[in-house]
Amino acid sequence: MDLFRRLFQKSNEDNQDKPDTDERLVKTTELPDLPEAIPPESPQTRPLTPPETFRNPSRQIHYGIASDIGRERTNNQDGALTIVTNPEMLGNPPSIALFIVADGMGGHHDGERASAVTVQTIAKQVFNEIILPQMEGPELNADQKTIPEVLSDSFEAANRAVQIAVPDGGTTATCVVVRGNLAYVAHVGDSRAYLIADGNMELITRDHSLVRRLQELGQLTAEEAAVHPQRNVLYRAIGQGDSLEVDAATRRLPPSSLLLLCSDGLWGVLGDDRMAEILMDATDPQDACDQMVREANEQGGPDNITVLLVQMPD
Amino acid sequence: MSENEGALSVPDGSLQPGQVLQNRYRILGIIGIGGMGAVYQARDMHFQNVHKLTAVKEMINMAQDQQLREQTIANFEREAEILATLNHPAIPQVYDYFSFGDRAYLVMEYIQGKDLEAILNSTDNFLPVEQIRQWGIEICDVLSYLHNHEPSPIVFRDMKPSNVMVDHHRRVRLIDFGIAKTFQLGQPGTMIGTEGYSPPEQYKGIASPAADLYALGATMHHLLTRRDPRLEPPFSFDQRPIQQYNPDVNDALVAVVNRSLSYDPKDRYGSAEAMKQSLEATITAVAPAAPHQQQPAPAPPPSNMPAPAAPPPAAASVSAPPQPVPAVQYESMQPIWSFKVEDAVRSTPLVYNGVVYVGSYDNNLWALDAQEGGLVWKFATEGGIGSSPVYGGGSIFIGSSDYRLYAVNVRDGKRRWTFKTDGKVFTTPALELGLIFFGSDDGKLYALKPGQTSAREMWHFTTMDPIRSSPAVDKESESIYFGSDAGDFLCVDLSGEMRWRFQTRRSIISTPLVHEGMVYFGSNDWYVYALDAQQGYSVWRQRTRGPVVSSPVYYKGRVYFGSADQSVYAVDALSGREVWKFDTGSQVTSSPAVGHDSIYIGAVDGGLYCLHADTGDVMWRFQSRGPILSSPQIADNVVYVGSDDQHVYALPI
Repeated sequence: MDLFRRLFQKSNEDNQDKPDTDERLVKTTELPDLPEAIPPESPQTRPLTPPETFRNPSRQIHYGIASDIGRERTNNQDGALTIVTNPEMLGNPPSIALFIVADGMGGHHDGERASAVTVQTIAKQVFNEIILPQMEGPELNADQKTIPEVLSDSFEAANRAVQIAVPDGGTTATCVVVRGNLAYVAHVGDSRAYLIADGNMELITRDHSLVRRLQELGQLTAEEAAVHPQRNVLYRAIGQGDSLEVDAATRRLPPSSLLLLCSDGLWGVLGDDRMAEILMDATDPQDACDQMVREANEQGGPDNITVLLVQMPD
Repeated sequence: MSENEGALSVPDGSLQPGQVLQNRYRILGIIGIGGMGAVYQARDMHFQNVHKLTAVKEMINMAQDQQLREQTIANFEREAEILATLNHPAIPQVYDYFSFGDRAYLVMEYIQGKDLEAILNSTDNFLPVEQIRQWGIEICDVLSYLHNHEPSPIVFRDMKPSNVMVDHHRRVRLIDFGIAKTFQLGQPGTMIGTEGYSPPEQYKGIASPAADLYALGATMHHLLTRRDPRLEPPFSFDQRPIQQYNPDVNDALVAVVNRSLSYDPKDRYGSAEAMKQSLEATITAVAPAAPHQQQPAPAPPPSNMPAPAAPPPAAASVSAPPQPVPAVQYESMQPIWSFKVEDAVRSTPLVYNGVVYVGSYDNNLWALDAQEGGLVWKFATEGGIGSSPVYGGGSIFIGSSDYRLYAVNVRDGKRRWTFKTDGKVFTTPALELGLIFFGSDDGKLYALKPGQTSAREMWHFTTMDPIRSSPAVDKESESIYFGSDAGDFLCVDLSGEMRWRFQTRRSIISTPLVHEGMVYFGSNDWYVYALDAQQGYSVWRQRTRGPVVSSPVYYKGRVYFGSADQSVYAVDALSGREVWKFDTGSQVTSSPAVGHDSIYIGAVDGGLYCLHADTGDVMWRFQSRGPILSSPQIADNVVYVGSDDQHVYALPI
């Protein structure tokens, strides 16, 4: 795949299209000065060198996906899924895509079952109520549910499904539907979605975690939160009660912007700065996902690692 | 001993009935299981002839590191010794402690009764407020004892309903001191649910007497509201006002609980004793000392508004600049000038080159001096004017209910040409790309090419129903958007070919707004829609509680509009999420004007409201003597608006 052009010469090692996964490749390329990460309570943007190397000559959505058990766990409780349609036909319908990352929790395989049930439930509903009608030429009337409405309904359905199928399990879910240049986000838990555009990497979801609340109240700094013994405690998850409050947001996706969805096994280990560096250097979404997983494992891989990277058309 | 140790060697294995610890405590059964180990009921065998019961609390040392293990045991023994010296009726007696292997045991008085969580769960109703208050007072009493302990205060650290027992004498007993926390380790893996009752600072490792008061407040909040804080975002009690769930709780008790739940320990009570006194005072208290929590009374209904004794003076009078004021007493605004016409003014004024142009139901298009409000000229049509004027190429264009669109010379108010349709023209023409687009009650959208003395029809697009929604033209996509009385929202191209049609459930009068690839409009089906401007699929919709005649405007990432449900809305332009809503107390069919971070909009109560764009707070309000259906227009720091009271007003911003 030679879809990505590099603007800077790299060493031969860096230019390998598929680095050997067993070989621990840590890039030591000198990077431009990166400003300090700003604490999450302030607007979560910070300047980056624009991802110019991430160029895509096509008008299609590209993505990479990787999920790994990590080095310490005995099973992978994460779940992820992509559905991407890139239609080229009469009527010029927009690309439409679904991306989900879910991080399950619970013993006795309950975690992976909860995340799988959630991914299945959301995917089925979004496919039937958004993607399929869109491909068939949507009916334009007030009887059609909007994407945020379908997403909200599908999260509620997942919540019920997990309570029935996996009563002792729970899961996070971070879900993005892309249609045209809009990203519709629905989110519960502490998996994350980032938008990388115009030289900024911005966290567009809010962790439903104890330490995040403490940060919002000014009781903990980002550094304290990163090492807090209770940093894994969530206050909201799918499968944990009859009523579920779902965070929803809609964002405009600039041309060639990136969307990153990941479980805490990635962001909690690598940190935003390193993730941003990898994205800057990457030449292909799949390579970037593989490299992030590899580096999280090199850092000890304490948790399951799931990453999904979406690249918008030019 | 050896047989006991054998039993204990099973990880996570609990003691079996019949097992004897220390040759003394015979296990009878399990009372409960906690995160650190089990609590057993045991018989003290030193008392051979009586059946003396004890509670044996087991804590499993899960620390891997040897130094940490020893530290844990040392902490346990130190705390056990302190507990053994305490003497308070609400604190169970500690008889003994010992540890071996990876387990530590505390032998305590066995209490018969039920904990508060079990009591709460035993009913679906609210517990008597009086009872909860009494428990709070008793808990304050024992906390006061602990906090005044010498040489250093004892912090309970784990106040929550399940750690408070009510014994068979109906007295409160604290059963689980924070001693168990000594054994708590950070657990791997994600967990759901927080402790719910602990204050923010406790998560930084700070456990002070003030932390116990917060946790007591949290416990009382849970008991009073039946809302379990472990199932809510942490530290979010202020988002669940007690009386919203349980109106039986008086203001004074609410105030005490809220104070104890302050984020900042300094804002809580200075001592358990002080909190106890406040709780006792709530029994007889009538009025709370918490005025900042009271909501201002709603605005008086418009019928109470005294009408001005005389029409506003036509002469200019400059009033004080507007200031933010509390919601009830809106700052009133005096007009710079007002101009009396001969019938209602529902048309939106146009300000061009120092002159205000506006139509009236008195059939006239009026041209008024923008500064003084004097008459420049007027132009008579043969029907009432509900359409709004627009300017282009030396002419003012306006529709009339006499079925015509007029082009009037801007300088002298003389007719240049007219164009007759087969229905009343209530829409406001759109001028774009050298063409004039407007709709008519004859069901047609017209595209005219205007000349100096006549206009040539380029095309018309026919719907079956009257068109009262004014067209919006997007130059970039070369699209024209408008609604029809059938509820259709249409997109046609510049040659009059339909691109797409979106069906709502009721007629559309609102004028569309096109912004960044989206088109926004209201419908009489009570919704505001945001559609993809290219293809017509819906991005979001927001339901109000009444028809939306008002036309949305965009300002700084938000869309503003009014609804016949009496409210003005600010919603996020991309998601439709409500940012704020302001209730005017009467229908809002006027469309907002935006400027200087303020929203200007009229209401049927005769008011023109100036609202803060960020918050929806009222900056000022102008009262006319008739409904304001006209939409305001801003020019040079002046707002112009018409009213059904037959006046045009100029107001200072």
